[in-house]
Amino acid sequence: MKPDPASPPRTPGKRRALIPGLLFALVLLAANAAEPKLPIFDAHIHYSHDAWDSTPPKAAIAILRKAGLKRAMVSSSSDDGTQKLRAEAPDLVVPALRPYRKRGEISTWVRDESVIGHVEERLKKYRYAAIGEFHVYGADADLPVMRRMTQLARQYKLWLHLHGDSDAIERVMKQDPEARILWAHSGFDRPEAVRAMLRKYPRLHADLAFRNDHASGGKTDPAWREAFLEFPDRFLVGTDTFTPERWHYIVEHADWSRGWLADLPRDVAEKIGWRNGETLFASMMTAKQ
Amino acid sequence: MTFKFDKFLIRPLVCILVLTSVPSAQAGEAEFSADEIARIASHGPWPMPAKTDTGNRVSGNPAAIRLGYHLFFEPRLAANRRIACATCHQPGRGFQDGLATARGLRPGKRNTPGLFNVGQHRWFGWDGGHDNLWSASLRPILDPAEMGGDARRTVRLLRSQTELDCHYRQAFGKAPDARDEELLVNVAKAIAAWQETLVSPSTHFDALREALLRGDDDAVASHAPALRRGLRLFLGRGQCATCHAGPLFSNGEFGDIGVPFFVKPEGVDPGRQGGIKRLLANPYNLLGRHNDDATGDNATATRHLKPEHRNFGEFKVPSLRNLKYTAPYMHNGSLATLRDVVRHYSEIDEDRLHSDGERILKPLRLSEAESTDLIAFLESLSAREALLAPVVPPAVAACDVPLR
Repeated sequence: MKPDPASPPRTPGKRRALIPGLLFALVLLAANAAEPKLPIFDAHIHYSHDAWDSTPPKAAIAILRKAGLKRAMVSSSSDDGTQKLRAEAPDLVVPALRPYRKRGEISTWVRDESVIGHVEERLKKYRYAAIGEFHVYGADADLPVMRRMTQLARQYKLWLHLHGDSDAIERVMKQDPEARILWAHSGFDRPEAVRAMLRKYPRLHADLAFRNDHASGGKTDPAWREAFLEFPDRFLVGTDTFTPERWHYIVEHADWSRGWLADLPRDVAEKIGWRNGETLFASMMTAKQ
Repeated sequence: MTFKFDKFLIRPLVCILVLTSVPSAQAGEAEFSADEIARIASHGPWPMPAKTDTGNRVSGNPAAIRLGYHLFFEPRLAANRRIACATCHQPGRGFQDGLATARGLRPGKRNTPGLFNVGQHRWFGWDGGHDNLWSASLRPILDPAEMGGDARRTVRLLRSQTELDCHYRQAFGKAPDARDEELLVNVAKAIAAWQETLVSPSTHFDALREALLRGDDDAVASHAPALRRGLRLFLGRGQCATCHAGPLFSNGEFGDIGVPFFVKPEGVDPGRQGGIKRLLANPYNLLGRHNDDATGDNATATRHLKPEHRNFGEFKVPSLRNLKYTAPYMHNGSLATLRDVVRHYSEIDEDRLHSDGERILKPLRLSEAESTDLIAFLESLSAREALLAPVVPPAVAACDVPLR
């Protein structure tokens, strides 16, 4: 590019004055380049049959990638949804086996002994990291179907992704003190109660799906902050796509999670954001492969 | 103040009435318990005491009301000069349009909400994207998909008619000027002032309620048994009154009742979750400088708004008054009739509801006869006669000149 003859010639002094500005711009660019979005392990995704038409597998995977997810733990009603996604993106999808054959079994499955055969059959056929997410509360956790789920989890060395109250957790832990449980939504319990459970059961972990009380406006709630700092290895984030429309919320949820995680020390944020998921679940799939 | 009077004094009054009238209060098959009567009382009195919008300095102002009335029916506010507020908000249809989704300059994605009793609301629009009526009135005027209006067009219109120009000056103390950044807000405030006067007529239900409260068994018995049975379902097994509360039959808040919310081609209508974001970003919200309430007290609810995951797919709990005139139903007009609405609740898909969300919603599993009863009750919440054209507000004396 030729110099503009109308412009006064640049003096060496002026050139020198430009250098700090250029350097500053380079530093800013470098800082931005060095600060990629925090990866997210989304531990609570469903891809149930009513989502397959509105968001076909390719579109679903595109959403997960757009959200910047490192991995997504997926369970579906029926499990075919999980298998469709897994086939589309084995690098991205960590499968969990939901015992529901179709939507509508949330409140009936635990009394339906035909569920056992279904789960056993799927476990023989496919690889999973967990059995769940399933819903069970209180004494129902001692019913034969749930007891069998606990046994199968032990037999196949799987996690239980349990949506229920602390009573249900206690009962499952009594059935198998070695059980590894991911407590869906942290039981919608208070942070103090969640901490007490985590102290009591070292193999209990908790996801934070579909709850807002732990963070607002990019800041963590003080009581929850204490929980995260006490147990940085035990929490995970998740969207919970319990209706097909919620697939359109995954990207926003990931960004929202990054927002409040940034309020925590970097190592804690990384653990809760993705490292815990990688260590606990993704590694299982890798090991099996 | 009057509301407090009702709330705290009516209940003891009801108890006294019940104690003195229970033996003879058996109106046919639908005898109401003391608890039921107390709950029925909470759905009145009707009409509600008028409210003044403290955020709108021309709320209740006769010049603004007259101006707002004219502008509401004025198609020349729109870019194509053919669409008025009243095109979608038709008085004979409860200020609705009978369409599933609204049609302005371009097709819309939501059902047009009725406007009766809108002065009593806290949030406006299916997503609550507005916290005041004037802001909600301004949006469709400016929205390129609805009316596509602007300040210059509005000023031209105001100045073209002496009466409009005069009422504007009377209401706002200055001439309409396109360079005045308040112009469009003022116009919206005038339209809001008129809408605040839209109060729906009393209904069969209101008459039944009054009869129950005064212990007039004959008057109670004169109401159809199906209506009375439907009312008991509404209060009891249906638990409808939990959300459809108070004289408006709405708690004014938002809920996810399992209605799908996909829209094409964008994907989804995020409902309240998007509404909160829109509201907080809107310069015409109550936190902004156009709020005429110097105390800011009317912005308390807005100040405390925080979007939550559950808001995704929540829509406003609509008032049930005038239902008969405002079909089709739901935020997207997806249910054509009241029978469809009752069927929705009767067979609601629990899996669409988060198990820790709207716990109150369970499939009602109503029989055909029960559905008919509930519909009879819902229909009793509409005006007894066909809706009439609204009364034309009088011109103020200073502007009492014939329209050109």
